[in-house]
Amino acid sequence: MLKITNLHASVEGTSILKGIDLEVKAGETHAIMGPNGSGKSTLAQVLAGHEDYEVNKGEVSYLGKDLLELDVDERACEGVFLAFQYPVELPGVNNTYFLKSALNAQRKYRGEPEIDAMEFMDLIGDKIKLLNLKDSLLKRPVNEGFSGGEKKRNEIFQMAVLEPKLALLDETDSGLDIDALRVVAGGVNAMRNENNATIVVTHYQRLLNYIVPDFVHVLVDGKIINSGDRTLAIELEEKGYDKIIEESKA
Amino acid sequence: MKTIEQFREDFENTLNLSKGRIKNIRSKAFDKFISGKFPTRKDEYWKYSDPSSILKLDLKFNDSGSFDNENYDIILSNGKIVKTPTNLKTGSVAEGLDNGDIPEELLKEEKNQFLNLNNAFAINGCYLILDSEVKKNVKILNLISNDGRNQAIYPKLIIIAKKNSDSTIFEEIRVKGTGINFVNSVTDIIIENGANLEHIILDDHAKDTYNISNVCVKQKRDSNFISHNFSMGKKLARRDFNIELLDTGANCDLYGLYFVDGNNHIDHHTTIEHKKEHCTSNEHYKGILSGKAVGVFNGRIHVHPGAQKTDAIQNNQNLLLTDDAIIHTKPELEIYADDVKCTHGATVGQLDEKALFYLRARGLNHKGAQELLMRAYVGEIINHISNKNIRSEMMDIVLKRLPKGD
Repeated sequence: MLKITNLHASVEGTSILKGIDLEVKAGETHAIMGPNGSGKSTLAQVLAGHEDYEVNKGEVSYLGKDLLELDVDERACEGVFLAFQYPVELPGVNNTYFLKSALNAQRKYRGEPEIDAMEFMDLIGDKIKLLNLKDSLLKRPVNEGFSGGEKKRNEIFQMAVLEPKLALLDETDSGLDIDALRVVAGGVNAMRNENNATIVVTHYQRLLNYIVPDFVHVLVDGKIINSGDRTLAIELEEKGYDKIIEESKA
Repeated sequence: MKTIEQFREDFENTLNLSKGRIKNIRSKAFDKFISGKFPTRKDEYWKYSDPSSILKLDLKFNDSGSFDNENYDIILSNGKIVKTPTNLKTGSVAEGLDNGDIPEELLKEEKNQFLNLNNAFAINGCYLILDSEVKKNVKILNLISNDGRNQAIYPKLIIIAKKNSDSTIFEEIRVKGTGINFVNSVTDIIIENGANLEHIILDDHAKDTYNISNVCVKQKRDSNFISHNFSMGKKLARRDFNIELLDTGANCDLYGLYFVDGNNHIDHHTTIEHKKEHCTSNEHYKGILSGKAVGVFNGRIHVHPGAQKTDAIQNNQNLLLTDDAIIHTKPELEIYADDVKCTHGATVGQLDEKALFYLRARGLNHKGAQELLMRAYVGEIINHISNKNIRSEMMDIVLKRLPKGD
């Protein structure tokens, strides 16, 4: 589904990603772990198409297309979804209206008719239960006045409605208490199937107890220095990043 | 100065069309106008809008033209009444003065020269009485039509909301045809004790129109005025609101949206006179400017001596879609009482890049994301309209007239 080859990227002249290679197949869940400042979030942003990041070298192929050639909205319409680490507040933009506009934009891109109002209400009714969100949040402006946990659940709720092929979860666990973490992970897990893939960017292995990855990659200073199965995450938690970095240098 | 002479000629040619009290009022107003000075940029309140450009237009008075549209209760065509309803108490300003419906002091000489000029040409104006204890919805069209002339038009509307009445007035200024228009319009409103008046005013983009519009409101005890002002850029557009809170318990809410693009201009000067204690005012104006447009907002709150417990809020926000668009925004607080609450704020900014990215990351294209953010921006003003149908109608109109960014 996704093949990243020797990806280099920088922001304002500072080099951050220094040669990433990664292949993600449909049905897989990958976790990217790493210390602060290693480039984890940058990788998620670059894949989503943030224009502040400049790709200097490398290729990203996604479902046979050159992902880097696509604008951020085209990527979204092609099924790439970024769950933001810091979801943006949109004062005056009604949450339901926003979701419907996004869904219809994606349907239009795919040449499908707009969803009718009844069908849409049924759809969000089902998904909102999945994320244990209050109905009242649908009527409020997007993320405005939401608690940290509500914002993150709202991200996954959007993901559930938009049904992406490739989900990028950027530190979705940060700021979540254990109950919210369970709900969010439950939502993500319920959406996993053999046709989609998930990349979880996280600092802690805690989230991976709930969203169990098939592969774990350790990102340090813009490069993947170690890859393995989920036991690598547990090892990381026990030994700490420094130890793993040392071992991989040896 | 040729135009000033033309004003005189027009005035002299039309004076005999008036009879009764209005004739005397017109004469006094014209004397006041002609003996005074036409404002220029040197006047503080005209610093950013040059009214002397009007004097280069070689204008001629015109009130011809007819029009009908069933959606409106009252229609003025080039200032002249062409339609009035049978179920409302209305008539010409001249009739209203003679039968005592309109208090004569409402048309007294003023400092503002455009009020004097409008009074000097009060030949055709219309008045409307909203009866006591009654609820009414009235739609008024102020049509400016031009078949290629340089014309001066003086629409005048007087609205008197009687005690405890509760009404909504929708006033639309529409410009049709080609040619240069100088539209000097005045809407005078009196809101009597306990009355509630919601006033929506909407106009159109018109690049060859010079529009000086004044809305003057006198509010009595416990009255409530809610204004929704939607104004579009013109060659020169200025709309002033002059609100007088004359007695205790009066409240006014002024909501405004202005859009201007190209080389057009828009200016709002609002004045709220807090003359008595326990009055409240709340003002929120928002603008969207693009191209090389120039916008002006000057919000004056004047708290008179003794007007204790005044509560006044003012806020002006501006969205600049291009680097060349300019906004001059200025709050002006003059407070002569010590137990009052007055706040003001002004912001100038662009569309939030983070918000645009967030929307695009969900699949909306750049244009769609921009529109969604603008809809939210204008919604904050439009959503104050109490009538649901008018609210959604205004949202449609506004979305069609939004300036395009890039």
